[in-house]
Amino acid sequence: MEIKSTDRDDFRRVYDADYHLLVQVIMHIVYNLEIAEDLTQEAFERFYVKNMTFPSEDDARYWLIRVAKNLALNHIRRNKREIEMVEKVKRMPSAAADERDGASEAIERENREEVRRAIDALPENLRMVIQLKEFSGLDYKSISKVLGISETNVKVRVFRARKKLEEALRGEEDVY
Amino acid sequence: MCIDAQMLSAYLDGELAEPYRTQVKEHLEHCPACRRHLEDMKAVGDRIRSAEYPDELLDRNKDRIFALLDSKYFQNGRKVSFIRRRLEISIPSLVTAAAAVVFIFIGSFMFFGTSGEQTGEILPSFAVQAGSGSVRYVSDEASLDNFTLEEILHYLDSKGYNVDISIKGLQPLETPAE
Ligand SMILES: [Zn+2]
Repeated sequence: MEIKSTDRDDFRRVYDADYHLLVQVIMHIVYNLEIAEDLTQEAFERFYVKNMTFPSEDDARYWLIRVAKNLALNHIRRNKREIEMVEKVKRMPSAAADERDGASEAIERENREEVRRAIDALPENLRMVIQLKEFSGLDYKSISKVLGISETNVKVRVFRARKKLEEALRGEEDVY
Repeated sequence: MCIDAQMLSAYLDGELAEPYRTQVKEHLEHCPACRRHLEDMKAVGDRIRSAEYPDELLDRNKDRIFALLDSKYFQNGRKVSFIRRRLEISIPSLVTAAAAVVFIFIGSFMFFGTSGEQTGEILPSFAVQAGSGSVRYVSDEASLDNFTLEEILHYLDSKGYNVDISIKGLQPLETPAE
């Protein structure tokens, strides 16, 4: 079914279907929910302003994910200095935060950090693919449409990313 | 012969075409080594996905942002939403709200853009402060004139900002039409 980005019903349908996916994709790049929300809003604004007609909801989704991904990557590049500063501050010991977090939350955060480090260490061409696969649950065909690469290429990259992540995460465990 | 690891990875994703899918399935039934390999691969996937953020968290502002877009684009919006200006001011919120000082330029100076060089020409003292890393300022081509100062303050306050306002190049604020 055709999607016209400036039609309110179509816009609403696409928004409802894809908002979550976009926040998630962006969140795993910028790791800050407020920024992820801002950029998601911007992606949908671009969608509207573009005034485009898509052959299907899927095509609208691929377009939006592409835009979201690029917005997030641009944000990271543009704000590298600020992000480094923020990271430094976040690592400073904060008694208040430690008391607030229960033990399980601390473990959860630790796990998230480990996975994040392992994913961040991947080359960019593998990172996006595995994030779209594992976090967003996209199939190979969708990933190939979003990234403009062949399905075979997606298959190869998913596998390579898995292998590298397995090594990286196993390496971390051996430390303890 | 045992299954190629890349094929196993595709099998795990349910992306392996026939006849390979059936072949792999049958092989797995009588090969513990490949079963173990598959389990390991699955475990990595589970581990990665355990770093996922909760749905409720990611969706917390879904309705709010839709309402903003809806009023901006579909309701012949009387007001222009400005939630996106958080982009310029949200970084200090991570540092701690108290550390954040937000400068709001009202009127003509808002149109001078955000480059440090430009700002330095116009307001040398501000440029020095802005370079400190903990100071952001709000500036946008789209004017904040659609909002009363009270609305802006209320918004920033609700975000936990310690707001310090300096008003330069003052122009009369237009009260939004009722
Ligand atoms: Zn085997």
